[in-house]
Amino acid sequence: MERTVLIVEDEKLIIVSTQMVLEAAGFRVESAVNGEDGIAKAKGIRPALILLDIMMPGIDGWETLTRLKRDPETSDIPVIIFTAREHVRGHQKSTEMGAADYFRKPFEPDELIELVEKHCGQEV
Amino acid sequence: MSMISNLMDGVVFVDGDGNVALLNTAAEALLGVKSFMVVGRPLTELSDQGDLLDGVLHDIQGLSDERPSMNRVIEVLHTEQDLLYVRARCARITDCQGKSSGVYCTLQDVTADYKTDQLKNQYLSIVAHELRTPLTGIKTFSTMLVKQALGPLSEQQMRVMESIREQSLRLEHQIDKLINLGHLESEDRYGQDLERFEIHELVTTSLAAFPAVAAEHGIQFHVELSEQDGLIEGDRADLRRAIQAIVENAIKFTPEGGKVEVRVTDVDADHVRFSIRDTGSGIDPRYQRRIFEKFFQVEDPLTRHHGGAGLGLFFARGIIEAHGSELTVESELGKGAHFCFVLPIADRTTNETRAVDATPVETA
Repeated sequence: MERTVLIVEDEKLIIVSTQMVLEAAGFRVESAVNGEDGIAKAKGIRPALILLDIMMPGIDGWETLTRLKRDPETSDIPVIIFTAREHVRGHQKSTEMGAADYFRKPFEPDELIELVEKHCGQEV
Repeated sequence: MSMISNLMDGVVFVDGDGNVALLNTAAEALLGVKSFMVVGRPLTELSDQGDLLDGVLHDIQGLSDERPSMNRVIEVLHTEQDLLYVRARCARITDCQGKSSGVYCTLQDVTADYKTDQLKNQYLSIVAHELRTPLTGIKTFSTMLVKQALGPLSEQQMRVMESIREQSLRLEHQIDKLINLGHLESEDRYGQDLERFEIHELVTTSLAAFPAVAAEHGIQFHVELSEQDGLIEGDRADLRRAIQAIVENAIKFTPEGGKVEVRVTDVDADHVRFSIRDTGSGIDPRYQRRIFEKFFQVEDPLTRHHGGAGLGLFFARGIIEAHGSELTVESELGKGAHFCFVLPIADRTTNETRAVDATPVETA
């Protein structure tokens, strides 16, 4: 079955380029342009994995992650934090908050695919 | 005595019996206690009188023969919302026989520096975000085209796309360097984002942009990985910065036709050595310690002007020290330099032997 990845990201350019990489690797891709929308879509489509940006208008990535992990409907979906900004102890913070991984933009397409494969694989 | 009492920094003396001997005006203000209330009283009676006093007390009590001094910034909630940052330096005073005769402590309000630093880092972080976002598009699209994932390219189109991709990697590297500058005053931040990752992956991703840079300078670039991969525990982004700074330095000081080699070898079952060797101009023995200093630049009248801020090796050393290791250099003038550091292996993985020659072997 085709696995769906949900990208929660406010930059259209990042959505389009990430989508291109993941679709070429055989994933189905859905996107949401802010945290609220992302949470709603996560509940609706139950993706195999969520790629979550941090700096977004409205609720930011950290808050979105907290809400996703608190809600039993979405808490089991692996989340990869996907950020272009420097965060002090970003990796540690992500893991502590329940994210499966932490990934920096710009990225190497192969690395992204590898990471997504890895965490999709862990999903039931 | 009046000299001390009028100092801008707070000063506290504790005598050999553990009683407060002196507290100047600045220390009174910072600690929120009056001199007459505490002088002559044992230090241990002064707990629970504020975060800063508790912090200082803790530091003083922690002093020992092994640790005769302490230097750290203590964060204190000043008013409802406002934080105060105070650098506290405590040290034992010893007599000529080495016997402890008390402790002195200086307190310096560094709040303004801290706030400027925070603002600067915030600003750099936003700039980086603004630059990295369009770069993500360029890098991803060009990579997809180079891999011909969107259809075949002509030879000429391929060359152009490869060049776009390489330049995007360089730009990314430059942005990372800009961020490093932001870390300049935040040295104690090194090595704090701990995770476990593969040694080979760390090296290959760190070096991705260098084959193109080396080729451009007519330098051979060779990478050799250890037979067995392993996991190390550390701050991946920081270690990547350190490796990049050392390699960049090697390329910078190697003339056309020279060679830069990066070797990762096992020291024993539990340690891995990273070694970066070049055939460049070498480092004058007089400067071999100083190259790790902040802003230090070797004047080299015979060769090109090297540029840069003189921060790369300074960062690299800080990062490697934060990982409990040491960055060493061996060099002879005219014969190149050899930088080296060893890290503990946290775990072994079973990746097969790999030797990667990441370059177009060109000597222009």
